[in-house]
Amino acid sequence: MNDTDVKAELRKYVEENFLYLRPELDLHDDEDLLQKGILDSLGFVELVDEVQTRYGVTVNDLEITEENFGSINAIVGFVDRKRAAA
Amino acid sequence: MNGRTLDEDLSAAARRQGDKTVLVTQQRSVTFTELDAAAERVAVGLLALGVQPGDRVAIVLPNSVELAEAVYGVMRSCAAITPLNPTIKAGKLSQLLEHASVAAVVCDEERAEVVRAAVARSEREIPIVDDLASIGSRRDGDRPPHPLDSNLGAVVYTSGSTGEPKGVTLTQRNMTFVADSIIEYLEMNERDRILCLLPMSFGYGLYQLLTCVRCGATLVLEQGITFPGRIVGLLESEKITGLPAVPTVFQVLISLKGLAERELPHLRFITNAGAGLPAATLAEVRRTFSGAKLYSMYGQTECQRVCYLPPDQLEVRPTSVGIAIPGTELWVENEEGRVARPGEIGELMVRGSHVMQGYWEEPALTADRLRPGRWPWERVLATGDLFTQDEEGYLYFVGRKDDLIKSRGEKVAPKEVEEVLHSLPGVREAAVIGVPDKLLGQAVQAHVAAHAGHELDPAALKRGCAEQLETHMIPQHVILHTALPRTANGKIDRRSLSGKTPPQD
Repeated sequence: MNDTDVKAELRKYVEENFLYLRPELDLHDDEDLLQKGILDSLGFVELVDEVQTRYGVTVNDLEITEENFGSINAIVGFVDRKRAAA
Repeated sequence: MNGRTLDEDLSAAARRQGDKTVLVTQQRSVTFTELDAAAERVAVGLLALGVQPGDRVAIVLPNSVELAEAVYGVMRSCAAITPLNPTIKAGKLSQLLEHASVAAVVCDEERAEVVRAAVARSEREIPIVDDLASIGSRRDGDRPPHPLDSNLGAVVYTSGSTGEPKGVTLTQRNMTFVADSIIEYLEMNERDRILCLLPMSFGYGLYQLLTCVRCGATLVLEQGITFPGRIVGLLESEKITGLPAVPTVFQVLISLKGLAERELPHLRFITNAGAGLPAATLAEVRRTFSGAKLYSMYGQTECQRVCYLPPDQLEVRPTSVGIAIPGTELWVENEEGRVARPGEIGELMVRGSHVMQGYWEEPALTADRLRPGRWPWERVLATGDLFTQDEEGYLYFVGRKDDLIKSRGEKVAPKEVEEVLHSLPGVREAAVIGVPDKLLGQAVQAHVAAHAGHELDPAALKRGCAEQLETHMIPQHVILHTALPRTANGKIDRRSLSGKTPPQD
């Protein structure tokens, strides 16, 4: 699976699970999920869970940060790095 | 500390250890001297805007340095703080501004629009301060008046079961008394560095700031748990000694891989309140933070803190919330109004100087909860919560007397959510209940039936709620029915709604 597919999948997941409360929002792949109020801490726990199961990567405690999970692009990058290291 | 008000705590600490950092936030940090100077400036600015001692000043801010400046600035002007949830919507805000006859609102630019909309509905002129840095200078007026501990300290809003606003009215004395009691049993001192993720509109969050300033400690303030990895990083980098949290926060933290293996040598204690920790979570929390003492506590806005379990008892009675906080007395009262026998269920009663003065301008609601005490001048607090006590006097929470939901440690009045649902197009019937939820403690579950010819969309109903309600009140689940089940006398049968999986019409 390449980056484009991962991105499309993640986008779909975020839209279906978190964005339905904000239909007016046109979410860009670089946009801050937290600042835009799309996800809160509980949302991140769900999202991290999803990323772990879907892409078979392990996410450590210190890794759930803005750098790795702050936007769709950040998550794609994170999954990429994790898989390359595996 | 005899008679020292909360505002005087700040000046005293500034004199004693002015260069020490009192507050750390992601944006900036301030010293005791800087916070003290800001409080003075804000106080002078508020007085210049016409705020009088004893007036209520609403604070609508997320956790930030500005929030602390507002809290201490308001208190220094000898006015009372009314801290409100930063996600509050204009309708509710306007209701509270009138209820407490608020004299001014402090907010930030982001919330200014909501605040202006709420203020516009008032017939009174209510000044809005949306940029705290811009108000006040020494030239504006005289020094603020001398503070007394019998002054009005705060009106803190909490939900009643029918959603009516209840403004818990506290004097400075109520607040300093409970702050001292908390400082005593947690053995807090000026070496402490507390990490606060809880909103300050919530008493449990507010008192993190008040106790830290009172004992000269440092508070690391975050806007909620946000990115869990950041919190773990802060525990290490900020050498956090105390972590107060609610079950939801603990659920997030224990879900993190690798946290239990971290040393966290500075972490001295963690506290839980807001709702009880399920036994499995409790064990997991103890394993994750094995080097820290865990305090299980119970409190309510009406007196802030009621009881705590001394950590050495956690092994002996893990499900207990312990004993009265220092300087106070507790007992369980049965239906005949007598002290309950060990194991007998009854309402928990509280006696002490932390008990509120009443609900702001609601004498009937006040009389329901403040009962005559032993002396003519004394009133004791009926908590409205059911408990039992064991042979040695340790307390166990049994349940609430009303149907309030506790989600993420915060109260949700079903009625308030139901009213919003009823206002949405196509909704004929709505009932809101709490259902067990691993992360939230209780999740808000809405049961809704449509008017004939209407089709309802659960996502649209949630959106409608999000537009009018604070975040923690938005239903997690919306379940559609053709008609809600009724009891024999025609009331919605809430028990059957919570008892079984409802039909998915």
